[in-house]
Amino acid sequence: MIIAENLTRVYDMGKVTVHALRGVSITIQKGEFVGIMGASGSGKSTLLHLLGLLDKPTEGKILLGGIDVRTLNERQRTRFRLKRLGYVFQDYALVPELTVEENVFLTSMIRGTSKEEYQAQTLQILDRIGLSDRLTHKHNELSGGQQQRVAIARAMVNKPEILFADEPCANLDSESSRNVLDLFKQINKEMAQTIVMVSHEDWHMEYFDRVIILRDGRIVSDGPPPEEILEKACKFK
Amino acid sequence: MLLDLRVSFFLALRGILRGSRGSLYLTVLIIAMVFTNMIFMPSIILGFIKVAEDQIITYQTGNILISPHEDELYIEDVFSLLEKINRVPGVLRASAHYGTGVTLRYKGNSLGSTVIAINPDDERLVTDVYRKMADGDYLADGENDEIIIGIQTSGHKDESLDMGPTLGYLKAGDAVTVEYTNGVSKVYHVKGIIETGSYYADQGAYITWDEMESIFGRKLDYATDVIIKTDPDSYEPEVKTQIYRFGVREKVQTWQDILEEAMGRAVQNFAMLNSITIVVSLIIAIVVLFIVIMIKTLNSRRQIGVLKALGVEKSIIIHNYVFQVLILTTIGIIVGTTLVESMVAILTVYPFQFPDGEVTPVVATSDLINNTIMLYIAAFIAGYIPAWRVASEDILTAMRS
Repeated sequence: MIIAENLTRVYDMGKVTVHALRGVSITIQKGEFVGIMGASGSGKSTLLHLLGLLDKPTEGKILLGGIDVRTLNERQRTRFRLKRLGYVFQDYALVPELTVEENVFLTSMIRGTSKEEYQAQTLQILDRIGLSDRLTHKHNELSGGQQQRVAIARAMVNKPEILFADEPCANLDSESSRNVLDLFKQINKEMAQTIVMVSHEDWHMEYFDRVIILRDGRIVSDGPPPEEILEKACKFK
Repeated sequence: MLLDLRVSFFLALRGILRGSRGSLYLTVLIIAMVFTNMIFMPSIILGFIKVAEDQIITYQTGNILISPHEDELYIEDVFSLLEKINRVPGVLRASAHYGTGVTLRYKGNSLGSTVIAINPDDERLVTDVYRKMADGDYLADGENDEIIIGIQTSGHKDESLDMGPTLGYLKAGDAVTVEYTNGVSKVYHVKGIIETGSYYADQGAYITWDEMESIFGRKLDYATDVIIKTDPDSYEPEVKTQIYRFGVREKVQTWQDILEEAMGRAVQNFAMLNSITIVVSLIIAIVVLFIVIMIKTLNSRRQIGVLKALGVEKSIIIHNYVFQVLILTTIGIIVGTTLVESMVAILTVYPFQFPDGEVTPVVATSDLINNTIMLYIAAFIAGYIPAWRVASEDILTAMRS
């Protein structure tokens, strides 16, 4: 469960002060698939970074799994991210020198999981996303969609409490995007995985349980996806 | 901690094995060259010193040299001194020398030189000069009218090999005139020509002690120096102490003392040159490795940011790059050592020609160890600083780069 209260993030950029977030408060329940949407510069990525402990708020409080993250020092935040959170980024961000298998088990290795265990977990998750035949491939031997699926496998291998995805489909064509979103939905449904995803594509809303729309650093809408989007999605299917 | 190091090593190995091959080979080559540079210069200096040591011991003074006390010109009562010294534990044999200035004349050439009177039987037990007869034979005890002369005085057939004025290719069997300072002039039969490779030994001329006594017309019971061969198992400074304990009041020097006296300044200068070479080499190594790791880390800034976002500790990222430089350094040192050993092998077959003999590089284990440690420290610093700088960046700054 995520509880964020009155989050404010101000960037001091020399003579200019940018208010990226202005008092945002949200609560996300376990198992929810939440989409954070909004125009460019609305503060959606900033919110994701704050919730994912990649940045610190100027003001406000975040509770992740009941822990007030303000009490964590830098090292504890790193351990928290490693053990309890998962991330998928826009450009996949796979380590180029590692194979598919090594990219996926890297964080398990750091967590101290035994070799047998992390190899089995890796195989299992790659099998689930349909890439078990690409274990020894490197990132440049995979398509964009496949790379993003590997990134999802890497994020999921340690069974995180919350999965954060920052515009994971931004570099993908619509077919690959749909595959990735289907995979997210499947994970969300089958594993009751909490997912917080940033997106700017309206049609992505059909996948979310809940859509939070930001404008100028404030929440302007928070609720289930609009009916017309869901209807359009049904027609499309 | 161990787990973190294991992960760092895993990343470092993958980074090297699957990174740019060209960069890998070039970096290893530069480190190998730097290491070769650090080792090769001292190995030549050491080889040079080794030649000087060997020549002092084998052809010049033996292991220990006794010379007159500072206030005196000669060692008095030399025969009883020889008896005394030969009884000192660790002494194999002592041999007295009496040297005097002379003028040598041969076929219109004349040359100022020093003739040294020796007891050939004693001398054979102290130096190996008798084994180095380029022409003719060595002297025998009691021989008169015979002289042996070093090749740098007699002269080579090929004049270009002469290092100074000579008598103009004097050979065994020729006659040479020796004019002594007491006015005696005598024609000697040249019994042999000495060629040891030591410039000092190859300059000398030798006659027997009996012959010198006949020139002076009296018993010679004093010497200009006494040379001593010690037991190979004994330590010369201890034997020197023993000699003093036996009541010898003359100046006693081991070959190390002589080398220090003769070459101390040269060795100091060589050591300084060597230090400069090492410092320059280390700076090159640091700069090269620093640039390599700086480029690697700058190119991987976003990736480093992502790794930190995934929960990878900063220390794992830093150690990854430190391991990479240490691995590159290890490979560089192995290649460098192989290069040095190959050069030593080639130069053992084709040594450098110096006036004092043939110099072969000698690689001291201590130099190998010291330079390896220094290179590892330099590599650690060169790897750590750029890795620390990039790894210390804020996650989002790194990810946005």
